[in-house]
Amino acid sequence: MISSADLHELAQRVLTRLPSAASVAEVDRLEAEAIGPGAPVSEARRSLRDAGEDVRRELGRAVNAVTAAVSAAAALRRAALAAAERDARFGEEWLDVTLPGRMPARGRAHLISTVWDEIVDIFVALGYTVASGPEVETAYYNFDALNTPPTHPSRLESDTMYVNHGPDPEGVLLRTQTSPVQARYMEAHKPPVFIVVPGRVYRRDPIDATHTPVFHQLEGLAVDESITFGDLKGTLQHFARAFFGSRRKVRFLPHFFPFTEPSAEMHVDCFACEGAGCRVCKETGWIELLGCGVVDPNVFVTAGYDPTALSGFAFGMGIDRLAMVRYGIPELRMLFDPDLRILRQFP
Amino acid sequence: MKASLRWIQEFVDLPTTDPQVIATALDNLGLEVEGTETVAAAFTGVIVARVTGIRSHPSADRVRLVTIDDGAGGLEVVCGAWNFDVGATVAYATVGSRLAGGLEVGERDIRGVRSPGMIASERELGIGDEGGGILLLEDEPAPGTDFSRLVALPDVVFDVSVTPNRPDAMSIQGLARELGAHFGVPVRPIDTSVPSAAGTTAVRVRIEDGRGCPRFTGREIGGVTIAPSPLWMRMRLRAAGVRPINNVVDVTNYVMLETGQPLHAFDLDRIPEETIIVRRATPGERLTTLDGVDRTLDASDLVIANPTSAVGLAGIIGGGDSEVSPETTRVLLEAAHFEPTGVLLTGKRHGIRTEAVARFERGVDPELPPIASARATSLIATMAGGVPVGALVDEYPNPARPVTISLAVREVERLLGVRLFALEIGGLLGRLGFEVTGDDPLVVTVPTFRPDVTRPADLVEEVARLHGLDNIAATLPHGPGAGVPDFERRRRQVRAAMVGAGYFEIYSFDFVGREAIDRLRFQDDDPRAHPLQVHNPLSDELAWLRPTLLPGILDGLRVNVTRHNSDAALFEMGSVFLPAPEAPLPEQPLHLGFGAIGNLPGRSWVERGSRDALDAVGLVTMLADATGLALEVVQSTEPGFHPGRCSTVMLAGQRIGVIGEIHPDIAAAWGLTGRVAAGELSLSALGSSPGRKVVVPSAFPPVVFDLAFDLAARTPVGKVLTAIRQAAGSTLEDAVVFDVFSGPPLASNRMSVAVRLTFRHPERTMVDAEMVPVRTAIATRVRDEFGGMLRGG
Repeated sequence: MISSADLHELAQRVLTRLPSAASVAEVDRLEAEAIGPGAPVSEARRSLRDAGEDVRRELGRAVNAVTAAVSAAAALRRAALAAAERDARFGEEWLDVTLPGRMPARGRAHLISTVWDEIVDIFVALGYTVASGPEVETAYYNFDALNTPPTHPSRLESDTMYVNHGPDPEGVLLRTQTSPVQARYMEAHKPPVFIVVPGRVYRRDPIDATHTPVFHQLEGLAVDESITFGDLKGTLQHFARAFFGSRRKVRFLPHFFPFTEPSAEMHVDCFACEGAGCRVCKETGWIELLGCGVVDPNVFVTAGYDPTALSGFAFGMGIDRLAMVRYGIPELRMLFDPDLRILRQFP
Repeated sequence: MKASLRWIQEFVDLPTTDPQVIATALDNLGLEVEGTETVAAAFTGVIVARVTGIRSHPSADRVRLVTIDDGAGGLEVVCGAWNFDVGATVAYATVGSRLAGGLEVGERDIRGVRSPGMIASERELGIGDEGGGILLLEDEPAPGTDFSRLVALPDVVFDVSVTPNRPDAMSIQGLARELGAHFGVPVRPIDTSVPSAAGTTAVRVRIEDGRGCPRFTGREIGGVTIAPSPLWMRMRLRAAGVRPINNVVDVTNYVMLETGQPLHAFDLDRIPEETIIVRRATPGERLTTLDGVDRTLDASDLVIANPTSAVGLAGIIGGGDSEVSPETTRVLLEAAHFEPTGVLLTGKRHGIRTEAVARFERGVDPELPPIASARATSLIATMAGGVPVGALVDEYPNPARPVTISLAVREVERLLGVRLFALEIGGLLGRLGFEVTGDDPLVVTVPTFRPDVTRPADLVEEVARLHGLDNIAATLPHGPGAGVPDFERRRRQVRAAMVGAGYFEIYSFDFVGREAIDRLRFQDDDPRAHPLQVHNPLSDELAWLRPTLLPGILDGLRVNVTRHNSDAALFEMGSVFLPAPEAPLPEQPLHLGFGAIGNLPGRSWVERGSRDALDAVGLVTMLADATGLALEVVQSTEPGFHPGRCSTVMLAGQRIGVIGEIHPDIAAAWGLTGRVAAGELSLSALGSSPGRKVVVPSAFPPVVFDLAFDLAARTPVGKVLTAIRQAAGSTLEDAVVFDVFSGPPLASNRMSVAVRLTFRHPERTMVDAEMVPVRTAIATRVRDEFGGMLRGG
């Protein structure tokens, strides 16, 4: 018969050794030695059934106390061992996090695309939609429908590139402006017309710092029953501020274009120097931004619109030029350079 | 057009002399000032002096001692020039004065004689190129006069950019008229008085082409002495960018700058029969022009001729044979009107851009020739001693009729958005030289110097210009709002997907060289083998319109590899051009092209992997995902691509593109080594995407198991996967290939493909027992279709 004193002695022995147990296995063994199956505590618990009332009470208390004490001590030691083991693993897993990270692949949209979308979205917010048309275009839509006389110098082979297609050697060309889309759109749609036309255009300009034979324009057209030059001013002023910042001032100077009358050029005060004069604005304080004007009545007549009932305005801007101005790009041809060292700098 | 402010002020008294205010006024008139240059004298302390005595230098024979009267008394200076005598009026640079180039004038000792200051040449004064002798002043100004006043300095020169519709503004008088209108002050007309003529002239003018030359005036001037022009005129011409030649030629240029009417002076003795004929050139006719170029003319060139040969290209440039020379004594002064387009086209054809062309191509006032002729005649009389002979010969068979326009008052408000009264509109137009009668509509007579104004809208522009665009209130209209259309959304969607996949967008030219296309080895029946040709390309390399985006992509990769950016992934979205002989225009679908070379991104030191055709395949899968379209990849061979690593991209049974690895020979032709993953897809062929719905994912656990098949080598795994998906039924959530290998323990010519299948039911937990028939169905399908055996099963 195991006495409570024996149990306490056993407990004392195990509890002394548990805190220094070197492994989980040793904790298990020590715990089993005291309270595992066949261990003295288990034996004592089994003997309780046959024991007398007094013995049972005393021995029972001892069994419970020893079991609780040993279990708790074993759990404590296991936790300590687990913590130590984790610490050791963390030590082994040390990683030099100053090494270059594993970069997720990130490409870039081209700056022309970014600026293109940004301008389009400014006008979409004003209720415009986007129209497009062919880049290889007929001379009719590129010139005739836009009030360009048959003898206008822009039609000359020194300025316009013609494409060998069809019988007329000067019948098909690479469009020199996005404006032919205006004419096509008006033919196919009834007013009101509120469109922007972003796209590629072509001129026979040899490649240098400021010229490439391919560049990008965005054309806008608003036609309705009472569109005025004042509407043109308000719209383009809104655009300039949306694109260059709300503090920008604009000015309109009279100009000449064959398909608008009156015509104007819009300038915006220089965002880089606040109009004081700097390299961006060539010391003038102003940046020439776009050409615009009230749609010439002849353009309406060609499109089948009534010029006495309708009025409208049109404007055209260089997407590449806006990109260059805003991002300080010194040469137009950089926009056509596929060098990743340039492309990576795009936002 | 370079315009001197002092010259403008001869015609109008402006309320300001501030160059900035005047430049702004010109800007606001639509006459953009591209530059404002203040021309100050390069010298200080120079005064007028008169030579009162000359004696030789005691010890130098190349210089003389000159006594001058500088207004305050006499003094003696040493002078090395010999082009003057006693009585000459000269520019004397005083002690302490400064000459061009910063030269300080002091009291110098020259071979033992002291010289207090010096007599200056044009070049030393910085007012001309003449440095061989001292400057001689013709008008004999009083000694002591400040020399800078004589040369009208300082002055301001505006560089005005004149738009092609404004011939009138290509003149000092025209700019003065515009400024007068802007500031509301009157403008003085040109003095058209002519010294009285002597005798009669034998000059005859015959216009054979009245359309090309509606008016021709000729005036004979005799007794002319050719000499340099006076200083003031040379100064004016130089400031305008015109080189002084001699007094007669200088007058023609001067009057052209002043009035806008180009003039030409012939040596009348070199015009046989003193007869001028204006006619079209005979094809192949030759003319040596003033610039020394021997030109072959064609039948559309209008010439000025004598009875035997052409003596000038009408309105463009004179001929060398009849030009005014130092021996000339009799001058025929031409002031004519030529039709703008002919001048423009002939000028372009011969590559000549003269001041005359710049004016005639805009359309000079047909009423101007006699006015300009008179002004020039009187200047030649004053400066070259000429006397007019007989009357002006003026051939003007069909005088231009003034244009009259009826302008409704409300038209101004309708187009500008600003309400003006009839009186205000009439007032503004009147200031610009328009005659206005009536009140509504206004009946407006257009001055002949404004050929650009023919319609009410043109008048509205004039009103806007003078009223001031700044004075029109800004208003902001809104459109009906149709948003961003599908074709534009598609570009954005595909671009975003490509960027997300690590590709960089490029923009390249639409032009390619023939060689670049030929390198891709398209079959003869492939439309890409027959690209469209640019009729007048900039160069052979830019002579063809790209039928594919691949050359631009490969060029882009080459540029990067050459510049040591060895890992590059590029894409472009742009049109390609394909022949469509029967259609009004070629086909020009929007394509996506891409190409990648080198290592995968971001794996620098951790792990490296070269790109190959599977990068292109994965990209198509990603695009299918991004667009919601069922793009299918079918193994194939295509021109330009590696024959074993190439596939066609299909959508709904239509071929829409090709992807794979560029053929190594073709890559090598582009200077690229290593595998180049690339492809090209037609975005135009994608059509619209089906609508998307987002559904609630199943909350129940999946059943996952793996199957491995023993298949014949090179069985297309994509097709096996498709078959598995079909056989697995609707509860299949995912089927992923996780292992492909060949070799032992497999038989030769066999391969193992292992697939992990995930099943999930939307409404309940699936049990393993359900998978037994599914498993059988899949195994049967793969066995029947591909002869594949389930491994370990």
